Amino acid sequence: MNIQSRFDDDIAGSFSAAPGPIEQVRYACALGALTSVIAIEGAIPISHCGPGCASKQFHALSGISGYQGGEFHVPSTNIGNKEVIFGGADRLDELIASTLKVMEAELYVVQSGCIPGLVGDDVANVVQSYQRRGVPIVFAETLGYRGTNFTGHETVVRAILDQYVAKQAGPAPRSQKRLVNVWSLLPYQNPFWRGDLTEIRRILEGIGLTVNILFGPASEGLAEWRAIPSAALNLVLSPWLGLATARHLESVYGQPFLHVPAVPIGAQATSAFLRQVAEELDLDSGPVEAFITREERDYYHYLRDFAHFYAGCTSQYQLPSEVNIVGESAYALSLARFFVGDLGLNPGVIVLTENPPEHERETIHRSFRDLAPGIDGEPVFEADGHRAHAVIRAKPRIGELPLLFGSTWEAGVAQEIGAPLVEISYPATDEVVIARSYVGYRGALQLLERTYTTVVRQSTEENPETAAL
Amino acid sequence: MSRKPKQIAIYGKGGIGKSTTTSNISAALAEAGYKVMQFGCDPKADSTNTLRGGEYIPSVLDLLAEKRRVDAREAVFKGFAGIYCVEAGGPAPGVGCAGRGIITAVELLKQQRVFEDLDLDFVIYDVLGDVVCGGFAVPVREGIAEHVFTVSSADFMAIYAANNLFRGIEKFSNSGGALLGGIIANSINTDFQREIIEDFADKTSTPIVQFVPRSLTVTQAELSGKTTIEAAPHSEQADVYRALARHIAGHEISKVPTPLSPAELREWSARWAEHVVQMERTERGERARPRVVA
Repeated sequence: MNIQSRFDDDIAGSFSAAPGPIEQVRYACALGALTSVIAIEGAIPISHCGPGCASKQFHALSGISGYQGGEFHVPSTNIGNKEVIFGGADRLDELIASTLKVMEAELYVVQSGCIPGLVGDDVANVVQSYQRRGVPIVFAETLGYRGTNFTGHETVVRAILDQYVAKQAGPAPRSQKRLVNVWSLLPYQNPFWRGDLTEIRRILEGIGLTVNILFGPASEGLAEWRAIPSAALNLVLSPWLGLATARHLESVYGQPFLHVPAVPIGAQATSAFLRQVAEELDLDSGPVEAFITREERDYYHYLRDFAHFYAGCTSQYQLPSEVNIVGESAYALSLARFFVGDLGLNPGVIVLTENPPEHERETIHRSFRDLAPGIDGEPVFEADGHRAHAVIRAKPRIGELPLLFGSTWEAGVAQEIGAPLVEISYPATDEVVIARSYVGYRGALQLLERTYTTVVRQSTEENPETAAL
Repeated sequence: MSRKPKQIAIYGKGGIGKSTTTSNISAALAEAGYKVMQFGCDPKADSTNTLRGGEYIPSVLDLLAEKRRVDAREAVFKGFAGIYCVEAGGPAPGVGCAGRGIITAVELLKQQRVFEDLDLDFVIYDVLGDVVCGGFAVPVREGIAEHVFTVSSADFMAIYAANNLFRGIEKFSNSGGALLGGIIANSINTDFQREIIEDFADKTSTPIVQFVPRSLTVTQAELSGKTTIEAAPHSEQADVYRALARHIAGHEISKVPTPLSPAELREWSARWAEHVVQMERTERGERARPRVVA
C-alpha cells in the first residue's frame, strides 16, 4: 500500500478535530486503540511512540473504566529526542526483530503514535519488509493527534482487515449463509463491553447464527477475524462506530451490512432486533420465534415480579420520572430507547461525549427520534464536562424526578439536581465491572437491578427515618 | 570573568550566498582581532567549510547520534584566524526532524556554557532562511541572538524568504526575541536590482547595511575552499566584506520589522514584474502594446 492510498482510504477522512480545551476527559487518543488489539485473543500491539504513551493509554482505558484490567504486554520503541531528530524507523525495525524473538503471537499490530507521525517515519516500509517475509504483522497509524480511540479503533480494524485478513493464503472464502460479523461497542471504552458482546453473541446464536464477535472473552480471536470474508452480513450495532468498516467490507467482499444504531436492551428491542436480522438473512422463522418465545418467557416472568416494585405496591419510594444521560452515543441511545420506550420515563438531557466525526452527527441525531411513539430525544454533542453539566443544570424540572446515567465525573451534578447516578460511561471509578451486561434480554434485567438499587439506596440515605419504618 | 558575546543570526534563502557572506564576516571580524564563533544551523552542515580549507567537520548532531552524553566542546573546531567553527548538522534528507535538530544543537552549546567559556566576542549563526518551522526560528527566540540580518538578492523568491523571516521576528519580538538589524543585499550588480531591493527595504522600513556585488573573486576563493578575506585579502570584494563586518561589529540598535502582508507582497512583486517585462520589451526595441482588457 503506498502512502497516497493510505491517505485516500483513511477513515481519518472522517476524523474529528479536537474540540479544543476540555474539562474532564471522556475518551483517549487514537493510540488508545491498542486496547482494541489487546481485546483480540492472540494479537499483541507493538507501540512506536514516546515513553509512557502506551501504558498511560492502557491504564486510562482499562483502569478507570470499571477496573477491567487485561493483559498489557506491549513492547515500545520508547523513542526520544534522538529519534525525533534522526527518525525512529531503525529503532522500530530493531524492536520488531527483538519482539519476534521473545513474544509469541498470532498477529502483531504495530501502532505508531504522535512522534513518528510528526517527523514522518516511514512505518509502512519497516513493517512491509516483515510482511514480505511472511510475518503476521500489520501497521496502523494511530497518531495521537489525529483522532480519538474511536477513530483509532477504526484505523486498527482497517489495518487488520487489509493487511492480515485479506492476505490469507488459500482459496477465496466461501460465503456462509449463517455467519455474521458484529461491529458494536468499543472495547474498554465502554466498561460493560465484555458482558455485552457475550450477550449479543448469545442471542444471535440463539436464532441459529454463527457469530464473529471479534473482541473479548466471547470471541474465538483471530480465527474469527480470518473468517470475516466468509460472513453473509456485517451487523453494525452502534450509531456510527463500525459503519466505515462495514462500508469498506461491502466494497471489498460485496458483503451487505445491516445498520442497527441502538444496541437492543429489553425484550421489545431485542426481539425486534432479532427478527430484523432474521429477515435480512432470510432465516426460517420457526427456530427464531422459538428462541424469542423462550427468552421472553424468562424476561417477562422477572419483569412481572419487578412490576410490583415499579408500580409502587411494595415500595414507598418515589421513582424517577426523567432519564438524563451523559456518555458515548452507543450506550446513550440504547439506554434512552429502553428507559423512555419501555419504562415510560420522560427524556431529559442527553449529552453525547465521544466527539464523533462531524459528518456522522446528523445520523446519530436522527437515531434519537421516536424513543417512544411520538417522543423524540434531543441529544447534545458535547465533550466538555463543564458545558455538559451546565446543560443538565439549566433544564427546568418542575414535577420531575431525574435519574442520571453518566460517568464518575457526573457525581457532583447528579447531587445538585438530586438524581441517583448510575455509572455507565467512561470514566467509571465507582463501578467494578467483570462480566456484567446491560444489553439484550439478560443484560436489561441487570440494568434494572443496578438502576433501581441505586434509586433505593439514595432514597434511604436521604430519608433514613422513613426507611427504618 | 567571561563577557557576554554579541550574538548575531544571519538568515537567507538557500543558495543566496548566505554562508559565503557569513564566513567572510567571521573572517573579517577575526582579522580585526575579535574572538569569533560561527555556528552553522543547516542540516547540510557546510556553513564553515571555507573557514576550514574546504573541509567538513563533525556536527553536534553527529556526536549525538553516536552517544547519549555529548560534550559539546568536541564539536568545536578551530578554523581560519582562530575562528571557532560549529555545525549543528541534522538527519539524513527525508527522515527525522531537522528543526528539532537545530534546537537540540543550540540548546546543548548554551547549556554547557560553551560561548562563555571560550570568552567570545561574537557568535554568528548561519541559518537556513526559509523559516519553515519552529526549529529554524530558535536563534531568533529569547536568549539566543540579539540581532538578525538577512541576506537577500533582488530575486523575488529571496525577498519572499526575507519577508517570512521578518514575520517570524515580529512574532517573537514581544517575548524578548531578536530584532532585525537589516538587509545584506547580495549579488547586486545593476541599478535595477538595487532599486528592487531598496524598494522592499523602504516598504518594510528596514535598513540595507551593505550592498555586496556578485564577484568572480568570491567564486574563485570558494573553489579553493577559502573565504575571500583569506584567499584575496587585497581585493575590492574583501574590503566590501570588511566594511560589512565593521558595520555589524558597531551595530547596536535593531528594531521590530514591519513585514508586508501576503497580499501586499503579491501586489508589490506583481508591480515590479510588470516593470521588468516592460523594461525587457524596451530593450528588445518592442513597442509596449496596450493591454487587452477582457
